[in-house]
Amino acid sequence: MDLTGRIAEDMTSHGRRRLGEGDVGVRPRDTRHRRWVLVMVGLVALLVAAVVANLCMGSLPIPVGEVLSALLAPDRAHTYGQVMWDIRLPRVAAAGMLGGSLALAGLLLQTFFGNPIAGPYILGVSSGAKLVVAAVMVLVVGAGSTVSSFDLVLASFVGSLCTTLVVIALSGRVRGAGMLIVLGVMLGYVCGAATDMLVTFASDANIVNLRNWSMGSFSGTSWHDVAVMTPVVALALVATCLLAKPMGAYLLGERHAQSVGVNIRALRVALVGLSSLLAACVTAFAGPVSFVGIAVPHVVRRLMGTSRPLVVFPATFVGGAVFCLLCDLIARTACAPTEVSLSAVTAIFGAPVVVAMLLGRQREAM
Amino acid sequence: MAHGNAATPAVLMTHDLCVGYGDKPLVRGIDLALHPGEVVTLIGPNGAGKSTILKTLAGQLAPMAGTVLLLGRALGQMSPHERARELAVVLTERPTTELLTCRDVVELGRYPHTGRMGRLGPADREAIRASMELTHVWDLRDVDFSRLSDGQRQRVMLARAICQEPRVIVLDEPTTHLDVHYQIELLNMLRHLADARRMAVVMALHELPLAHAVSDLVLCVRGGAIAFEGTPGEVFSSPTIDGLFDLEPGTFDPLTGGVRLAPLLREERMGHVGAADEEA
Repeated sequence: MDLTGRIAEDMTSHGRRRLGEGDVGVRPRDTRHRRWVLVMVGLVALLVAAVVANLCMGSLPIPVGEVLSALLAPDRAHTYGQVMWDIRLPRVAAAGMLGGSLALAGLLLQTFFGNPIAGPYILGVSSGAKLVVAAVMVLVVGAGSTVSSFDLVLASFVGSLCTTLVVIALSGRVRGAGMLIVLGVMLGYVCGAATDMLVTFASDANIVNLRNWSMGSFSGTSWHDVAVMTPVVALALVATCLLAKPMGAYLLGERHAQSVGVNIRALRVALVGLSSLLAACVTAFAGPVSFVGIAVPHVVRRLMGTSRPLVVFPATFVGGAVFCLLCDLIARTACAPTEVSLSAVTAIFGAPVVVAMLLGRQREAM
Repeated sequence: MAHGNAATPAVLMTHDLCVGYGDKPLVRGIDLALHPGEVVTLIGPNGAGKSTILKTLAGQLAPMAGTVLLLGRALGQMSPHERARELAVVLTERPTTELLTCRDVVELGRYPHTGRMGRLGPADREAIRASMELTHVWDLRDVDFSRLSDGQRQRVMLARAICQEPRVIVLDEPTTHLDVHYQIELLNMLRHLADARRMAVVMALHELPLAHAVSDLVLCVRGGAIAFEGTPGEVFSSPTIDGLFDLEPGTFDPLTGGVRLAPLLREERMGHVGAADEEA
């Protein structure tokens, strides 16, 4: 280190001339740290607010004070306690966890493809998962057996993994970020059409079931569902954080990552596996939910002012949770007592963010 | 200039190396011994296989035949991590980043030296600062990498390679897209790394006068082989260079970079531009 310092010393004496020409946009290091902490604290505060709002609001309004006492002393005999513990809390837990998962899945796919518009919904991954889940539902339930939540996650995982692999195989043959998206959207249409055909052959009761689920909704989430999704999401979350280091290097592109010692093959397998698992979890329980995977990571990166994985991961998860909780709240209450599809709400708020992002990118390029 | 001495063993060696893509060999029979403190330059016409050789030396492409030894070990048998501790690469393609500062980019050079989560210790921070000062980009540390000029980017990428603390640096046409000021500055830095830090440098260069100034050893790649190798004094004689690039004798001076256009072309050009261009 000593030697390096000394060399730096004598090298700086000549060549000072061109220093400092890029002074615009300088952000000192500690203000950056302060910003990260502030944004994170803000997001957590928003999360708390969103959870409270979700617990209070609904067909049976519960005052904030009652929410707290019902939380501290679970009493299912009381109406408030029953609504809170049997209906709203599991739904809040699911919406938060799955929202975070979806945002993270988007981030992983964006890293993989080096494309900020990639996400599980737009690449057709969610539709692929939906197709396999629908097939399992129609075939198994049609045969008179029952399907457990775990089976649904598994079917969904198979579907999203297969679709991701198809997208990857095709992406090698097209050039440009836009073409990748077109490809994904087309793949989504194909899977959607296949699902529709399957539904035609399903018995009536199953169709109702399938239709509710495929619109994207957290309604009817039970504690059992939460118990199934929690370990899966927790596992994927820990694994994603362990990938922070190689993913940081991957931001510079595959060749640069390889040159500093990243095992590219292992990283690519891990990225595909994890993003499929996270997206599968969401699709199994709530059906395909649109735009969360693109909009949330984008907004979080802008808020944080950095792409560093260890900074962006936690904030993306919390941001996804906040976004889905608020969207679910709107889906539940906007047209009460009828529930709007969650995916419709996330599209209304998420799509403009994506459009703004594309326009901003265009401006930057010019 | 320190020329490679026989006393110190070679850090990078190839034996009867054959490189190429798929099943098409591009260059055969490469025998190279790169010693600490040595700058070796590949020159030759476009498509001769300079980049392919460098990719193979950097472990990005498997050799088709023969061996590459890094510190006496076969490159193919080292893990990416082990290789990256000894060998750094500066690629021609500049990365496109979003919301990453120059320091974020340079930090990635510490990749093979940090733990599971990539946490930087004081020694890592010091190495980052020193390498950024060496390439004059410390003042740009908090600027977004995507806003830099080509010259600045290239210096940041060099800083990234230096803070990797390798024994060998491989560069593919590091002077492309740079103006002459940055070109000379970059070569000064490379010469400095070789002389003061005993790093071994191997690169491809298009600009012959620059290659002449910086190299200890020059390899001419042409016709699927190393057509000629020697010190700059030996290589940069007009007949060798004329043969390497298919030049008419007397049209190019490899030492000064001076160009003489064919008489007919010259007349036509004069006709178009007018007499004002007389001195050109």
